[in-house]
Amino acid sequence: MNKVLITGSEAAALGAKLANIEVLGYYPITPAFPAMERLSKYIEDGELNCKFIRVESDHSALAAVLGASLAGARSYTVTNSQGLLLMTEVAYHAAGLRQPIVMGVANRALSAPHSRFPEHGDAISQAASGWIQLFCENNQDIMDNTIQAFRIAEELRTPVMVNYEGYIQSHTLEEVFVPDQEKVTAFLPLNRQPALDINNPRGVNTVTGPEFYTDYKYKQNEAVLQALTLIPSVAAEYNKEFGGKSCGLLESYRMEDAEHAIVAMGSIVSTSRLLVDELRKQGKKIGLVKVKAWRPFPAKEIFELLHNVRYVTVLDKNIVFGVGGALASDIKAALYGKGNMVINGVIIGLGGGKCGVSEIKETVDHTESSDSDKNRSEWFGL
Amino acid sequence: MALKNLPIVPSGDPGALAEAANAGLQRINRPEIIEPEKVNPVVILYCPDGALSMDESGIVINYKLCKGCGICAKESEGIVMVPEYTGPKGIF
Repeated sequence: MNKVLITGSEAAALGAKLANIEVLGYYPITPAFPAMERLSKYIEDGELNCKFIRVESDHSALAAVLGASLAGARSYTVTNSQGLLLMTEVAYHAAGLRQPIVMGVANRALSAPHSRFPEHGDAISQAASGWIQLFCENNQDIMDNTIQAFRIAEELRTPVMVNYEGYIQSHTLEEVFVPDQEKVTAFLPLNRQPALDINNPRGVNTVTGPEFYTDYKYKQNEAVLQALTLIPSVAAEYNKEFGGKSCGLLESYRMEDAEHAIVAMGSIVSTSRLLVDELRKQGKKIGLVKVKAWRPFPAKEIFELLHNVRYVTVLDKNIVFGVGGALASDIKAALYGKGNMVINGVIIGLGGGKCGVSEIKETVDHTESSDSDKNRSEWFGL
Repeated sequence: MALKNLPIVPSGDPGALAEAANAGLQRINRPEIIEPEKVNPVVILYCPDGALSMDESGIVINYKLCKGCGICAKESEGIVMVPEYTGPKGIF
C-alpha cells in the first residue's frame, strides 16, 4: 500500500490502470481530460498494455469502447457533461447489450447557458439509462470505486459509471492510498465473455418483437437490482484485501440518535461531515447519510436509516425541471407513507454555486424552520 | 408469467435481422423458383441479403436470409413472389 498525493483525475486513471484496462476510447473534454492524459502516458511509458482509440466525438468514443467490450476486452472511458449527453444513445446500447464497461464521469453542469463548473446534472440525465451509478466523496473514493466498478460490472454484465465532480475533485490534490498491482490483479480476475465470436457468429442487437423485448428489459432490471447486494459485498471484500474504508451502498455518519439527517452524494458529503461535527459539538442531534450508489437506488437501506428522524435535508447538486432534485425525489418515494418527517429537498451548488459549511448550515436551519414545506424543493443561492 | 429463456446479450442467429417466433424474418411474400432453366445467374448479385447462391443444381434460395423484397423476381425470369406471412401474429 502506497500513499500518494494525486488529483481525482489521476486517481481515476490509476484505478483504471490497476484494473489493467485493455481498451480506452476517448474524446477530449474538460474536466475529464486529465484522466485520459494520465492514462495515455501510462500507455506511452509501457506501464499499461492498452489500446488507446482516438475518435472524432464522444458518441464514437463510447461506440468504440462498446465494440471492444463486445469482443471481450476490459474497456474504459472518461467523459463529462456535453460529452455524456452525446454518448447517451450508445449508453443505452451498452446497458441493453449488457456490456461491463466502466466510465468515469467528471460531473459538470449542462448547457444552456454554457457552464464549465461542477454539478451533478450530467449524471442525473442518465438516471434511466440502465447504468449502475456510483458517486465519490473524495479522491480515495474515486480510485476505490473505479476498481470495484470493474468487479461489479463484470459480475452483473452491466455498465458502471463512477461519478466524481469536475475541478472540486478532478483537479484537486488529495492523499490517496494505492493498493499493490498484484493484489488488484487477483481481485479482478479477467473472465472474458465475448459476444462477438468468430467461431460462433451471432447477430448482435437484433430487431426484437414485443414478445421478447419485455423479457430482455426485465432481465436487465434484475441485473441492476442485484447490485444492491453485490456493491456492499464487493466493498467489504475490497476493504478486507486492501485495508480500505469503502462503504457499501450508503454510509451513515453519526446517525445513532440523530433527529435531523443530511443526505447527500459527491463532494458535498465531505463538507456536510464538517458541519455535522460542528453541530454535534453544540449538542445538536444531527447525522449524515452519504449515498454512494444512486442507481440502483437503495430505498430499503435509506428507509432503515431515516425512518426515525424528524427532519431530512437532502442536498441536490442537480435540478430535474418541474420535479425538483433527483435525490430528494427518490428519497421521498422511498419514505412514502412511512413516518411523518419533514423532507426538505435543497437545490444547491448548481453550475459551481457555493456550497460550503455555512451554506449547508443555512439549509439545515431552514428545514427546521416553520416555513419549510415538506413537499417543495428549496432553491439555495439565488 | 414465465420469463422466457433468452441470451444475456440480445442477439439472434447469424444473418437474422430480427428475432421472431421463427427465428427469422417477417416476409409478406417469398420468392420461388418455378422455372430453374430460365433463371439468370447474375441475379445472385442483385440480392441485397445474400440469400441467393448457386450449387450444382442451379440457383438456390436461403429463406433464413431472405426478407422477401422481390428484387430477384423483378430482375430475373423464372422466379415469382408467392404470398406468405412469417412475422409475429398479433394486432397490426
